[in-house]
Amino acid sequence: VSHCAQVARKWNGWGYNDSKFIFNKKGQAEFTGKRYRLGGMVLPTFKEWIEKTFGASLEHKTTSRASLNVNDVPPSIVNEEFLQDLRATKISYSQDAEDRVFRAHGHCLHEIFVLREGMFKRIPDIVVWPVCHEDVVKIVELACKHNLCIIPFGGGTSVSSALECPEEEKRMIISLDTSQMNRILWIDEKNLTACVEAGIVGQDLEKQLAESGFCTGHEPDSMEFSSLGGWVATRASGMKKNIYGNIEDLVIHIKMVTPRGIVEKNCQVPRMSTGPDIHHFIMGSEGTLGVVTEVTIKIRPVPEYQKYGSVVFPNFERGVACLREVAKQRCAPASIRLVDNAQFQFGHALKPQVASIFTSFLDGLKKFYITKFKGFDPNILCVATLLFEGDREKVLQHEKQVYDIATKFGGLAAGEDNGQRGYMLTFVIAYLRDLGLDYYVIGESFETSVPWDRVLDLCRNVKERIVRECKEKGVQFAPLSTCRVTQTYDAGACVYFYFAFNYRGISDPIHVYEQIERAAREEILANGGSLSHHHGVGKLRKRWMKESISDVGLGMLRSVKEYVDPNNIFGNKNLL
Amino acid sequence: MYSKELTSKKRDEFEDILEERRLSSDLRYAMKCYTPVIYKGLSPCKPNAIKSAVLQSEQVQYVIKQLAKEMGESPDIIQEEATEILDEMGHRMQLGAVRFFAFTLSKIFKQLFQRVCVNEEGMQRLQHAIQEHPVVLLPSHRSYVDFLMLSYLLYTYDLALPVIAAGIDFLGMKIVGELLRRAGAFFMRRSFGGNRLYWAVFAEYVKTMLRSGYAPIEFFLEGTRSRTAKTLTPKFGLLSIVMEPFFKREVFDTYLVPISISYERILEESLYAYELLGVPKPKESTSGLLKARRILSDNFGTIHIYVGQPVSLRTLASGRINRCPYNLVPRHLPQKPSEDIQEFVSDVAYKMELLQIENMVLSPWVLVAAVLLQNLPAMEFELLIEKTLWLKGLTQTFGGFIEWPDNLCAKKAVLSGLTLHSNIASLVDGHVVLNDKGMEDGAVGELVFRHALAVLMCATYRNQLLNVFVRPALVAVALQMAPSFRKEEVYSCFSFLRDVFSDEFIFFPGISLKDFEEGCFLLTKCDAIQTSQQEIYPTDKGSGTVSFLSAMFRPFVEGYQLIFRYLSKEMKEAFTEKQFIPAVRNFVFQLLEKGSTQCYEALSSDMQKNALSALVQLGAVKKKKMPNGLIYNVNQEAVSKILDMFDDSADAIPEHNEFLFPEYEILIEPEEPESPADNNEDEQGAEDTSKDAKEQEKLGAAGVADETFQSLDEETLEAMAKHETEEEKIFQMFKKQVAAEPEQIIRYCRGEGGPLWVSGENRPEEKDIPNCVCGAKRKFEFQIMPQLLNHLQVDSLGESIDWGTLVVYTCANSCGGANEYLEEFIWKQDYSMGCTI
Repeated sequence: VSHCAQVARKWNGWGYNDSKFIFNKKGQAEFTGKRYRLGGMVLPTFKEWIEKTFGASLEHKTTSRASLNVNDVPPSIVNEEFLQDLRATKISYSQDAEDRVFRAHGHCLHEIFVLREGMFKRIPDIVVWPVCHEDVVKIVELACKHNLCIIPFGGGTSVSSALECPEEEKRMIISLDTSQMNRILWIDEKNLTACVEAGIVGQDLEKQLAESGFCTGHEPDSMEFSSLGGWVATRASGMKKNIYGNIEDLVIHIKMVTPRGIVEKNCQVPRMSTGPDIHHFIMGSEGTLGVVTEVTIKIRPVPEYQKYGSVVFPNFERGVACLREVAKQRCAPASIRLVDNAQFQFGHALKPQVASIFTSFLDGLKKFYITKFKGFDPNILCVATLLFEGDREKVLQHEKQVYDIATKFGGLAAGEDNGQRGYMLTFVIAYLRDLGLDYYVIGESFETSVPWDRVLDLCRNVKERIVRECKEKGVQFAPLSTCRVTQTYDAGACVYFYFAFNYRGISDPIHVYEQIERAAREEILANGGSLSHHHGVGKLRKRWMKESISDVGLGMLRSVKEYVDPNNIFGNKNLL
Repeated sequence: MYSKELTSKKRDEFEDILEERRLSSDLRYAMKCYTPVIYKGLSPCKPNAIKSAVLQSEQVQYVIKQLAKEMGESPDIIQEEATEILDEMGHRMQLGAVRFFAFTLSKIFKQLFQRVCVNEEGMQRLQHAIQEHPVVLLPSHRSYVDFLMLSYLLYTYDLALPVIAAGIDFLGMKIVGELLRRAGAFFMRRSFGGNRLYWAVFAEYVKTMLRSGYAPIEFFLEGTRSRTAKTLTPKFGLLSIVMEPFFKREVFDTYLVPISISYERILEESLYAYELLGVPKPKESTSGLLKARRILSDNFGTIHIYVGQPVSLRTLASGRINRCPYNLVPRHLPQKPSEDIQEFVSDVAYKMELLQIENMVLSPWVLVAAVLLQNLPAMEFELLIEKTLWLKGLTQTFGGFIEWPDNLCAKKAVLSGLTLHSNIASLVDGHVVLNDKGMEDGAVGELVFRHALAVLMCATYRNQLLNVFVRPALVAVALQMAPSFRKEEVYSCFSFLRDVFSDEFIFFPGISLKDFEEGCFLLTKCDAIQTSQQEIYPTDKGSGTVSFLSAMFRPFVEGYQLIFRYLSKEMKEAFTEKQFIPAVRNFVFQLLEKGSTQCYEALSSDMQKNALSALVQLGAVKKKKMPNGLIYNVNQEAVSKILDMFDDSADAIPEHNEFLFPEYEILIEPEEPESPADNNEDEQGAEDTSKDAKEQEKLGAAGVADETFQSLDEETLEAMAKHETEEEKIFQMFKKQVAAEPEQIIRYCRGEGGPLWVSGENRPEEKDIPNCVCGAKRKFEFQIMPQLLNHLQVDSLGESIDWGTLVVYTCANSCGGANEYLEEFIWKQDYSMGCTI
């Protein structure tokens, strides 16, 4: 069996094996590999930033164990009859420890921590690789027949503990890996739709569609690894949703295999009035009802022209006001994000060594202009990054409109480079956590959605709450607690938080971390924010579900689960 | 709620801030470089910017639009109105005015007060708090000096000057009003419940200043100056306004800082006493203040200002406030707070007041006043000292914060108190007396008034102890009220008292049992009571403490009884507060004139209002909002019932008591003389009697059952035949007489006739009845009938006490004074035999 994805990826951290942050012999930070623009570059100011921000020191290093210790891995529970039946289907499978551990987790901090230093109490007992819809039907039938538990696995990028196996599950757990169901079945150019197998990974989908001159435009930050089926199962959101929409806007048709049978619609239409949309039972079901096998998704011609941009605002308040105005006028570019000052500085620290003196000089000049001439305080200002897409003329027109609005809110255009670097960072930032873990710094991101009028209050209060909780829990150094407004809507925005701290001197950092994250979520809810904008609930945020959707709402979901999967074959215990 | 370690509680040290003022130039002080510590999130702005922010706010604009729609007016006109309100209300803080005050107040304070003592650690804590989060200052309110002093203090310590919610009446003082405005006062109308625009503008004004961290916001939880020096129950309006930004998460947190300002001598003491007695207070006017300059020559002792620990609202609210209501409605819409929130606001208000009380400084004079009031009209000086010293120990046990210099002997402390308060009491011939003899030759009414004035002024000082003492003291009162020492009964009395006095003293809502336990704990700590599993009883050693404590609160118990009595009997059913106060004052006044009560404090309008509002809370008086104000409706029966609780709380719990019988009312009816017609029924009656006799027999001898009666042997029959004679006749008479009123328990007939005997045996002869101590003969007055035993349910034969009748003989000359007890003679006649005195 070819599991190339798994082979190229780290077993105990984010992303590709060849890509990571290191400190080189000179003690300078460097990003390895050639996959990213940052690859092979030296980041001269980064070390200082880490030391200053976290009080971390390169002297104090903690390292992960080098490889998986097979002896630690819980033994596989085997149902022999099932295994016989499975062999008969010719579907490939594995009971290998590494395969099983790789599918026992997502990318929450505590999961990575366990990989580095401990072992999960319960992991899948077998991994199966169906290659098509029919294979999935067979596997689900067999699981029903033998009363086993199935946990669907797509890209493995969950950050909601959704992939963790329930400890108390006594049945054999089958990890159903969809990665081999990765074909585009057809492209319909007349209706601009494509039918795609659900296991396809984001970047492959875009690459393959591009060959025909199309794209979906769905670009979540995890698109290098996350799968179409996973997007559907978690109600994913993409960076460029302003043009292309979120997953619920993109999906035309879904085919899902459940213990009850196959659920799908009879036609592929833009909209229908046939009672509550069954797609909405499937989207966000987080693997509790069945396996999404095929999805018909909207496609668009690849845009002619792309342009990055950035705007500096004197402070976060002005920046938010500008984004609100842009949303009001419904002229948001493909992406518009506003990072706060701490994140701006963070981004600044990741600036690679400049090759030519000329750019450096220009940089200095601009800095002088902004801080001295315009009177922006470098410790208060914040930056919006922009991405425009479309035909060239319209993009330029659009760009002008947005910059005009920004000017009204005291914004200053700060160049394409800054914008581009901002977006590049979202892909490499996930690698940073692994570096931090080597130096006693742990961190995580989380997100929410919130009405416009509460954005500022929520951002301020959540950040403050994190700082306070850290102090109370005995964290020695003030944490990094930073946010960005990452999506705009008519009625509100999506806010993304990064939070990290140096845990030296704390005996149980993960527990402390979880308490603080929980407090931060409480704070979000108290400020009128949602439980999640796009990460989902999983098992990590289950406790707030009742509060979020009311008793009756929860009951409605439960009754669907009860009908579709009365024996809890899809027993990952997410959501409900 | 309360700390059990009251006495060991560490309190900060005080510094005298006037000391430095006396040493260096006031002018230089006023002109010093003032760069106050401010809130970290503050974007500096001018008072006018705040005003326009308020006018433009969604909150105010929303109400303006609503009103415009409802009244059919143009929004511009209403906007205009809002601007006027804001101009009337808003402060115009200016450094110049602040410096002016800094200069003049230095002069004035140095003149008036010996020392102004501040806990510096508190100021440091405040300094941190101000930088961190918006701060709300919650000082106690005893005097106009309060807010001047506090601003002066913050200026001295280089802290941001507060904006202060002041009553609009200050604006009556032309120049001073404007000056205060420039020093940061903003003015609120006393009542604006109905005016939505005013409410919206006011609330938004306060919230805008709070949210932006513009300045600490200062207001008085008590709403007004306490005329009695007793903490007033809190008002919730402003508090809920300043809490709202946190509830809506417009701020991360808000600090509430309780501040206790204690005066050794209150500037307005005599004014207050007049006011309480119904002589209206002078309207605040500039000339009034100038006249007040007269007092500048007087000495008002020391002021203690204790800045308490800032309390984080977020911490208080954690786990208590359900956030949903604020998440589902836009935050600028006016929204009535949910019940949860209202309850929370009230809890916080009480908590803050209790914190104020905890750190109020008590001077020795406070103890002197408390002792003196229990020993009127005069008290021997030495005894007063001794008692004061004793009370000092008790107060400290109860957690009171006494400022009594270590080296100061009791005599000096008492003397210096007397010197400072020479207007209230003085030392005459080794005795301390109240100064109420201003007009010896005045009319009686005038005397009562003078005396009341002196008592109320003195009480102002004793009152400072009450909230520290109230829990143990009410346990003490309950011990005396309760029919037994059983815990439940004492607690039920305590709980009743706590309810009745809920407006008089400060109790944290809903923790009656905890308060009780706290009271018991403190009494146990000073060895005044002992508790067992079921009982609470005073110790021999502690009876003095218990009676002192209950005497301390007696004016309130008696005063409330008087007021309740008036309401249950005299007051017409519907009235306004304006009618109530003078009417009840008049009632009490007359009683005092007649000498039938000594409770001068019942004249206090404060007590009268509190008693009325207690009845409203207990449901015995209904309060109704009418177009012309509040109307009260009394349910007289309910008030009587409450009154009964004071008088005989025994009634409620009869069967548990082992020592006392329950109380009953005795109805008195004259007995109809026998009518001739009755004779016809004699035969019938005789027949019945045998049956009755049988029953009587049954009662008379233990364990005699019907069967025994049926199998009578000869001997018994003979005995019965004998009874048939004299014995039976008398019993027959008794039966017949009683049959008319079978329930009678007492027969009263002084002088004439004699008792109704149960039997012929064992009747006293004349020699058996001794003469009275005065030498006169005793004659029959009344007799107690055996039926009483049934009523009291002491009728288990052989075990209970028993009698046929008890006959009481009293002095024929009715000797002795009206009010003293005398020994009389009682004759006990049983059915068979026996006689006892």
